Formats: sequence, structure tokens, C-alpha cells
Amino acid sequence: MGQRVALELDLVKGFRFFDPHVHMVSRTTDDYQAMADAGVVGLIEPAFWVGQPRTGIDTFRDYYSSLVGWERFRASQFGIRHFCTIGLNSREANNEALAEEVMELLPFYLYKEGVVGVGEIGFDDQTAAEEKYYRLQLELAKEAGLPVQVHTPHRDKTKGTSRSMAIALEHGLDPGMVIIDHNTEETVKEVLDKGFWAAFTIYPFTKMGNERMVQIVKEYGPERIMVNSAADWGISDPLAVPKTAALMVKSGIPRETIELVCYRNAVAAFAQSGQLDERLLNEKIQIDQGQKFEGNSVLRGGQLPRRDADSIIIS
Amino acid sequence: MNTQLWLMDELQASIKSALPDTEWQWLSEQVARIAADPQQRIVAQVFTSLPRHLKSVEKEARISLGEQYVGPNGLPLIVEGWPIVRLARVWVLMAIPKQERSAYIQLIERLFAYGEMEELAALYAALPIYHYPETWSSRCKEGIRSNIGPVRQAVMLRNAYPSRFLDEGSWNQLVLKAFFTEESIGDIIGLSERNNPRLAEALVDYAYERHAAKRAIDPMLWLLVTPFVDERAYHLMARILGESQTLLERRAISYVLKHSDFGPARKHVEGDAALMVLSDAAGTPWEYGWQDRTRYHNS
Repeated sequence: MGQRVALELDLVKGFRFFDPHVHMVSRTTDDYQAMADAGVVGLIEPAFWVGQPRTGIDTFRDYYSSLVGWERFRASQFGIRHFCTIGLNSREANNEALAEEVMELLPFYLYKEGVVGVGEIGFDDQTAAEEKYYRLQLELAKEAGLPVQVHTPHRDKTKGTSRSMAIALEHGLDPGMVIIDHNTEETVKEVLDKGFWAAFTIYPFTKMGNERMVQIVKEYGPERIMVNSAADWGISDPLAVPKTAALMVKSGIPRETIELVCYRNAVAAFAQSGQLDERLLNEKIQIDQGQKFEGNSVLRGGQLPRRDADSIIIS
Repeated sequence: MNTQLWLMDELQASIKSALPDTEWQWLSEQVARIAADPQQRIVAQVFTSLPRHLKSVEKEARISLGEQYVGPNGLPLIVEGWPIVRLARVWVLMAIPKQERSAYIQLIERLFAYGEMEELAALYAALPIYHYPETWSSRCKEGIRSNIGPVRQAVMLRNAYPSRFLDEGSWNQLVLKAFFTEESIGDIIGLSERNNPRLAEALVDYAYERHAAKRAIDPMLWLLVTPFVDERAYHLMARILGESQTLLERRAISYVLKHSDFGPARKHVEGDAALMVLSDAAGTPWEYGWQDRTRYHNS
């Protein structure tokens, strides 16, 4: 563990990837380009905390609008299908006055095209306010028939994860409609045993490393397991999914298993929203120079404007 | 009112034929409900949830209506290459009856405020059919500023609203922005009618800038400059004519110089047999397509 392995994305050439948790508003066009080059054909951007607390409802609205508007378009320019989940994150649930206003706003977004779930919601400090808004949003998800993407806390994770699942079951949610995120070796067994989807975030230093991920897949197999990057404004890696797949190839994990945990399972889980048509992901891969994506020319004048990062010339 | 009803009937027939019976029934019921009582909540719900109910519609399927239907404001609604859901959304918007001004505006503006990408494209494409047409010019300008390609295109291209209601400065911004974002210029409605010397001057400045940066210049730019060719424009066009290897660019410039009111420009072409051949418009985008596109403006 911890030894340096060269970046060999050739190992996963021809694979398709779906990153079901990545905060693209915080990432650059270079990241989009690198993801597209590495085989990422679709992604889900969960609504989250933007690094510092919002102080008014309008910034929430503009944020949600950017997830279904500008960011969706930005991704399409690189041939990547962008979906999102909409919700009130746990940290900001603690500002109750604002949280009330956000709750009124959510139904305006939950029924939009390409909104594949309620998320990311759940516990952070595990306060009473967090629990209140988690429960209210589970009800919204049930009403809208949408999957739920559950953020599990960094501190007191094991208990927080158990509690998140117990509450979801209490509200009558089908565990097959709930994706428990940021799992570890300590939480995975219970999550799978209870019938929930188990997502793993490959995120340097603070969450999972991908060598650990390989071990988990070896131990538990691919069923209901999915890998994501949760890349955001912190030190994170938007190529976490393809890199993990490459490491799995190197570790002798069968291709079918890799496809399940790095693509199929996430697509299957969120397709239950009715808002993620897998056929579109299949079509996307054929996008080539001069083709159109949702009616706009991705490749203006037949050429993707690709920045040459290895040259000092900017033209 | 009659033209609106007629337009609604026409759209209705197209949408009906694109949908299975159950989905059509759901949609027509919602439209009837909105026409009878346009409550904010219902309008927003129907407008947003259309794709959830029109499940059988292929996302990539596109619809074009051969004729261009004139709406309640005397402006045509030009449906070309629209997603079917967009057509259905515009039909829903048309069903909203005229009501007191501020209530009506608030109802529509709220849809804009919460719009996702494809909803915004539908809302902007519908500019020609809203009641109180003169009040939507600032909304129209906002759409032109959009960074989202399909949204901006819904305002700029095949949309009869801007040329009728934008002031000259805003119109010129639309055209300049369309060149800047490399849109299909010939699809802008009203180019000939709204052409003006300030626009031509700004376009020539832009052409100088592109030329200095060694970037391509859309040949359509020169077409707009035709009535206003002066020494400065002529100077750059003559220079490009000497350098360019691009046939369409050479044909555009030869055509424009020949049809300009600037004597030296005309002589430049008339004294050169090869340029005279190039100046023939046959088979070019400006042969007649451009005029055709804009004839609806005054209808």
C-alpha cells in the first residue's frame, strides 16, 4: 500500500465510466476534458455545500439552476451527459430558518428533466435539525418516486450510517431506492446486508483509497457496489473512477466486475428515477468530430477546441 | 385571438400525431385545465413535468413544421428541428389565457427563474407568442447574454421576436454575439430589415480583430456590410481577397464588393474576370435563402 504506480489509463481503454458523485461546478474544463478522454460518458452532480455557508435563498436557487442549466451545458460540450440530484445538504440543514425556505424551493427542481434523485442528504454532525430535514426530504423523494443519495458523516461514521438506514426504512423507503455514500470497510457489510446500494468515494487522504477499494470488491463482489470520485473544491481527483478501474485491471479483477462497479450499477440505481436513459449514454460514445450533441455543435467548426497543455504557445 | 386559436389548432395536430393516445390525452387535459384556470402552481408543474409524462418521446427526435404559423402578435412561430417536448411546452405556454398584465408577466417570469436548460430553450423560443409582446424585450436581451448554447440559439435563431422588438443597440449586440459564438447567421430572422451602418461598422472592426488574430471570418459578415462598404471595409476585404484560399470567403467578398455603393470596390471586381466569376451568387447561402428567411418579418 502507498507505493507509487504509474498512471496507466491505457489499461482501461475502451471502458465506459459513469461517475455518480462529482461536483463539477468546482472543476475546470481541463477536468472535463481529462474525464472524457479517460472514458467518462456520464456523471451525477449532487447538490452540496459550496465550501462556505449560504446566507440567502436566492443563492440556493441560483445554485440549483446552475446544476440543471449551465453545468449541464458545460458537460455536454465535452460529450459528457450531466445529471444531478437535488437536496438540502446536512451542514446547511442546521440553519433552520433558511432550511425552511429551501424546503419550499425543492419541489420546483425535483421534477425537472435529468434530476435523478434527492441528494446528497443525510447527517454531518448528526444534529436534530439534520435529522428533521433528512426525514422531510425522504418524504419528498418518496412522493416524487426518486432515488435518494445519502451522505454519511465523517465523524462517528458507523453509527451515523446505521442511523441513516434505519430512518430511511422507518419512512418506508425501499432500500433498493437508496444509495448510501462514502462507505468504508466498517460500513459496507451492514449496508449490503440491508439491501441498500453501497457507494464508495475514492478521495485522497480523507476518504477511501483505491487500493482499499480493490480489496473490498475482491471480498464482496460487484453486486450493488459503485465507485465515485466526489471530486470538489478540495484536493480530490476527477479521474478517481477510471484510475480505480485501471488498478482493478492490474489486480486481476474481471472486466465484467469492473464494468458493474464503475458504470452499470450506478446507472441502474439512478435509472430508477426514469430520468436517466441508458440509451443516451450508449449513443454518446459515438460522438465524433462534427456530430451534434442535443442539437448543438459540440465541436465548433468540426473541431473540439482543445487546449494544448504541453506547449507554451496559446493560440 | 382568431389567429392564436388557429395556431393552437395547428400545433395541436402536430403534437397529437407525435404522441401515443394516452400521453396525448394527459397533455390535452392539462392544456384545457390551464386554459380554464392558469394557476401558477399548475402551470409550473405541467411545464416542468412534461418529459416525465411524455415518456415515449425519443429524446433525440426532432420535429419541423413546414409552414410558419403566425401567432397572436402577428409574429410567426418557426418550428424547425425542435425536440417534441419543446413544441409541447410552447403549446402549453400558448394555452395560458391573457390576464391582467402584471399577473401574466409574473407567471411567465417565474418559469424563467426556475428553468433548466431545455425549459429555458422552450421559454425563449416562445417569445413570439406571449401576450403583452413589447414587455419581453429585456427578457429577450437576457437570453442573448446566455452562455448556454441551446438557450442562446432559441432566442437568436429562427425566432421572429428580436427583430421586431429590440432597439438598434440590442439588435446589433445580438448579431455581433451570433458571429462571436459562431451561430448559423442565415438563421437569424430580420437581418436585412434591421441592417444598419452602426452594425456594419462594428462588424468591420470585429473582422479586423479576427484578421489580426489570424482567425477565420464568417463570410456572412461581409454580406451585412454590403450597403455600407467604405474605405476601411474595402481595404480589409481587398487584403483578404489577396490572401484567402477559402472559396466561400472569396466568393462572399467578390459579391459584396461588386454590389456595394463604393466605387473603388466595384471597379476592383469589375476589372477582374476571375473575380467577376466569383461574384456570382448562384449556389451560395446568400443566393436567396437569406432573403427567404427574413420575408416573414413583415408578414
